[in-house]
Amino acid sequence: MRKPQMVMALAALLLSTAPALLAQDVASFEKRIKVETLDNGLTLIVMERPEAPVFSFFIHVDAGSSQELAGQSGLAHMFEHMAFKGTDVIGTTNYAEEKKALETVETTYRAYELERRKLAGRDDAKAAALQKAWKDAIAEADKFVVKNEFGEIVDREGGVGLNAFTSNDETGYFYSFPANRIELWAYLESERFLKPVMREFYKERDVVFEERRMRVESNPIGRLVEQFLAAAFTAHPYGRSGVGWPSDLTSYSASDAESFFDQYYVASNMVVAVVGDVKAAEVSALVKTYFGRIPKSPKPEPIRTVEPPQSSERTVVIKDQAQPFYVEGYHRPSAFDKDDAVYAVISDLMTAGRTSRLYRALVRDKKIAAAAAGFSGFPGEKYPNLFAFYAVPTPGHTPAEMQAAIREEIERLKTTDITADELKMVKTRAKANLIRGLANNQGLAIQLATAQNRFGDWRQVFRQVEDIDKVTVADVKRVANATFVESNRTIGIVDSTKLATAPAGGQE
Amino acid sequence: MRPVKLLSSALAFAVALGVSGSALAQANDWREIKKPALRPFKMQQPARVALPNGMVIYLQEDHELPLINGYIVIRGGSREEVSEKTGLVDVYGEVWRTGGTKAKTGDELDDYLEARAAKVETGGDVDSTGITWNSLKGDFDATFAVVVDLIKSPEFREDKIGIAKSQMNTGIARRNDDPMGIATREATRLGYGKDNPYARIPEYDTVAAVTRDDLVAWHAKYVHPNNMIVGVVGDFDAKTMEQKLRKALGALPKGPQATAPTIEPAPAKPGVYFVKKDDVTQSNIRMVHGGVRKDDPDYYAIQVMNEIFGGGFSARLFSNIRTKKGLAYSVGGGVGSQYDHAGLFTLQMSTKSESTVASVDALYEEIDRLHNEPISDDEMRRAKDSILNSFIFLYDSKQKVLNQQLMLEYFGYPKDFLEKYQAAVEGVTAAQVSAAAKQHIRKADIAILVVGKDADFDAPLSKFGSVTTIDVTIPDPGASKASAPAIGSAEGKALMSQAVAAMGGAAKVGAIKSYRMISVLTVKGPMGEMALDTDETTIFPDRQRQTVKTPMGEMVMVVTADGGFMTMGGKSQDLPDSQKKGMLDSIRDTPLLLGSKIDDPAYTFAIAGEAMVGDVATKALEISGDGIRVKWCIDPKTGDLLRTIKSSPQGEQWIDYSDFRDVDGIRMPFKGAVRTAEQDSGRFEIKSFELNPKIDDAIFAKPQE
Repeated sequence: MRKPQMVMALAALLLSTAPALLAQDVASFEKRIKVETLDNGLTLIVMERPEAPVFSFFIHVDAGSSQELAGQSGLAHMFEHMAFKGTDVIGTTNYAEEKKALETVETTYRAYELERRKLAGRDDAKAAALQKAWKDAIAEADKFVVKNEFGEIVDREGGVGLNAFTSNDETGYFYSFPANRIELWAYLESERFLKPVMREFYKERDVVFEERRMRVESNPIGRLVEQFLAAAFTAHPYGRSGVGWPSDLTSYSASDAESFFDQYYVASNMVVAVVGDVKAAEVSALVKTYFGRIPKSPKPEPIRTVEPPQSSERTVVIKDQAQPFYVEGYHRPSAFDKDDAVYAVISDLMTAGRTSRLYRALVRDKKIAAAAAGFSGFPGEKYPNLFAFYAVPTPGHTPAEMQAAIREEIERLKTTDITADELKMVKTRAKANLIRGLANNQGLAIQLATAQNRFGDWRQVFRQVEDIDKVTVADVKRVANATFVESNRTIGIVDSTKLATAPAGGQE
Repeated sequence: MRPVKLLSSALAFAVALGVSGSALAQANDWREIKKPALRPFKMQQPARVALPNGMVIYLQEDHELPLINGYIVIRGGSREEVSEKTGLVDVYGEVWRTGGTKAKTGDELDDYLEARAAKVETGGDVDSTGITWNSLKGDFDATFAVVVDLIKSPEFREDKIGIAKSQMNTGIARRNDDPMGIATREATRLGYGKDNPYARIPEYDTVAAVTRDDLVAWHAKYVHPNNMIVGVVGDFDAKTMEQKLRKALGALPKGPQATAPTIEPAPAKPGVYFVKKDDVTQSNIRMVHGGVRKDDPDYYAIQVMNEIFGGGFSARLFSNIRTKKGLAYSVGGGVGSQYDHAGLFTLQMSTKSESTVASVDALYEEIDRLHNEPISDDEMRRAKDSILNSFIFLYDSKQKVLNQQLMLEYFGYPKDFLEKYQAAVEGVTAAQVSAAAKQHIRKADIAILVVGKDADFDAPLSKFGSVTTIDVTIPDPGASKASAPAIGSAEGKALMSQAVAAMGGAAKVGAIKSYRMISVLTVKGPMGEMALDTDETTIFPDRQRQTVKTPMGEMVMVVTADGGFMTMGGKSQDLPDSQKKGMLDSIRDTPLLLGSKIDDPAYTFAIAGEAMVGDVATKALEISGDGIRVKWCIDPKTGDLLRTIKSSPQGEQWIDYSDFRDVDGIRMPFKGAVRTAEQDSGRFEIKSFELNPKIDDAIFAKPQE
């Protein structure tokens, strides 16, 4: 770790989501951006940016792991994987036959699952026979599969950056194409969400479990974060494993994924942004032709559960071979809250660059940490979430020291006004970061679609910076005092069972 | 669904806008969709300016946003640092900026730049160092002035060297926490050779060896205009910018010309290598051997082969190992290439521990298919389409084109390398791909590396040949000097004699064969203090039983010459070797036992300076022998041992002794305070101490389960 990489990653994250600019910039964007809502409720944003004959797109679906039902953790992410498996035309040699075979896979799986999950009176021989029937049905269905045809078409037609992600808040799909593939794009992306086929579901479930092993089980910070969030959120889905708990990941079915799709991948829940060397009118016509086929359906109901106020401090300590790590988080309101920009200011002040308070206190002056940060939106921001602080101790230093040093900085925020210069620096940086984020097609598409779908207006990209510009010194102190209190806190510690040796003379 | 109505309204809309109607008939199959020719396009090329002092400048105007970005690439990188100072270029790359200039400290630069939301950063890489900057265009002059000041007058202040080293040490301490990191690092070391400049890694000692003088000397050796290439892109006028750069840097005098070193790889023997990592559920697998340079005649055939074999969603590895077998989330690889030295052939994959061996088999199966079956026309077409259709993305922004031209100039490649690439890829044949596969992926040369928990593997790795275990234990600070203990001296032995006399005399000390001690041990943990009742029985030199009452119940730890175990809550388990060794060492470095070694020729006693313990000026004595090395701080007036210092896995450990009492003629401290890595880590207080007690051998036996 030559440089504090986590801080870097965070800075990149801030840069990508940071907002704001001056009025004339918004005006110049107004001219280049066309927004329309189709009859079926799907919203399209097009920005002409003819620098080179290419374009990027982002499809934002306003559903993430927070929408999953109990017993189905990880299903939103699982469906995202399935969206690469093709349609009734792409990825099959004979869809009519394949469809029947896939139905058999589902009925045999259901029978096997019901027997396997019996608490009392399970007949192991029967379960084994049902399992065999299910595996045989899979083998039968696999005969009709053309592997990875969807990805292959994108690859061979010159697509780059084909990928997708699922977060607690949302799901996103993206890549870039040469400009002459705009109709092919409209075809592929609409077919994908019009007629997705849940082929190879159970193999893909194994692939997703490998993703869990990589990100959570075999990674010390992953292990801590999963437990930390489970402690911090007792009611809201933010406390559930995003990639999925092992038992859910090994039991849900293709039918479950299909139900999730039917409920949340409706046109009114999706925003499509296209940025690049395209003509807005042409994209509009193509999107109406292709995406217009997605049926009209009301936007899904918002979830009910709101995390209740925390009444006492919670602590999670994992004993681990890995080196020590410290994190603490405080509940804060969602991104829709009037104080959202105040949290953005605090985060920037505490974290951004070598002038940040945490860097100066923990890394530069106390020399106890290699990196330290305070950030919002953990693990999402659509619902009330955590403002978290973490620090990575240098060899020989302990989580207890991280905690004490972080608390000292939090106390400063609560008791002493930040300086006018500090606030000005944060505001200047917010504006500059916004401008830097406007320099490429893919980044723009992601920002515009996300703001449009979450806040109902892409202009929120700019308004967030205007909001930051209005934050006062008093706001920072007020919000810090309201948020950073003991009863509102959850602590996570990696307590190392094999501490590293502190090199003598490494410091000073 | 109202497709007809929608379609017709869309058509009406399109006609109104003059869009051709044919684009709007909805296609039912992707193959039906027309793809018009891409409009002719040539990205604006940067202007090249060569200054008389050897500096080359590329300027690329881009007026879309009010920003200016710049960077300078400078010859000389970590492959040129001496191995004893591995990490020098990393420290240099950080402290060049954080250490500030003669005029301004790094902190002052931070404040100055952040007030403008501007950045100036420096860094070190394997083949170069560099400086980058970016700012709003109005702040260019203020920002660039910092760049010039850093080039001309860097200061490399010591406090920032300390921070940079501390951050590197943090990276070293944590490098075995991430299994993927271990796999990538060790595979590179297998491919190039573990001490090769392209693969070696910094250690605590090599980082500690880097001095400010080294950083100053590096800067003096390499940072000259004839070793620099400058690139600037953004909202400026090229002529004006050229004048600014000439004025600021044109007068820098030429220096010695740096040239790329020739470094031969020294790969590990082909075979099977294993890194044990028990806290994972997934194995990280690598296959590795030497690769090629980008000017290799097979380069284009290799690019097509990589596309077919291991790159992207439609490649064979992804399709067969991830999609078809469900064995991996992450799988891929190919024959790697570099501009001025050979890259590595690497396949990488992660899979659950229980399918490790099956996965290695699956990778071999894919290599065999590649070697033995002809490549189909369809696969060739797909691979070429993918490379050629996405070619536009190599030059779709002004910044990318600038970067490429700069890179080609830096490594002395022709300016039209990219254009040639396109034509050459189109010309590659299936036979060339097959030939390249055989020549550049060679089963006989492959080193297989697996990082994982072998207890859970589906079969032993020895299926693939004899397994070499790689020890990734991180060497402690000072390890590189550990073979050179201080030389014993008469003064040292005299000081030892004084200490032994104070303990009770050589005869009494020599008669101690065992002891039993009941004490309270107070441990400081991350969440506070915990007091533990302990009962310890030790027979010199290699048997010990410790009973500790913990909040979770009683814990017993036993170590003997040939084993060790721990019992808790009725369950026993063997101690790991490292812990066993730690316990045995701690018996052998007990002051009472060392006191009996004063005439043992295997031990040396050396004076090691002076140290203040509390307000006593003590004399330090280094005792070494038989693998033990400790320092004693002795009160020269009384001969009392006031402090012992030894290294431990957690850092240097100090124990300060007090409350001396007489036990059967032996002077024993009944209290001790422990500091580890200069932090208070606990204390002990002895409740009773018995010399040569009656001991039942059965207490060292592992309970039957």
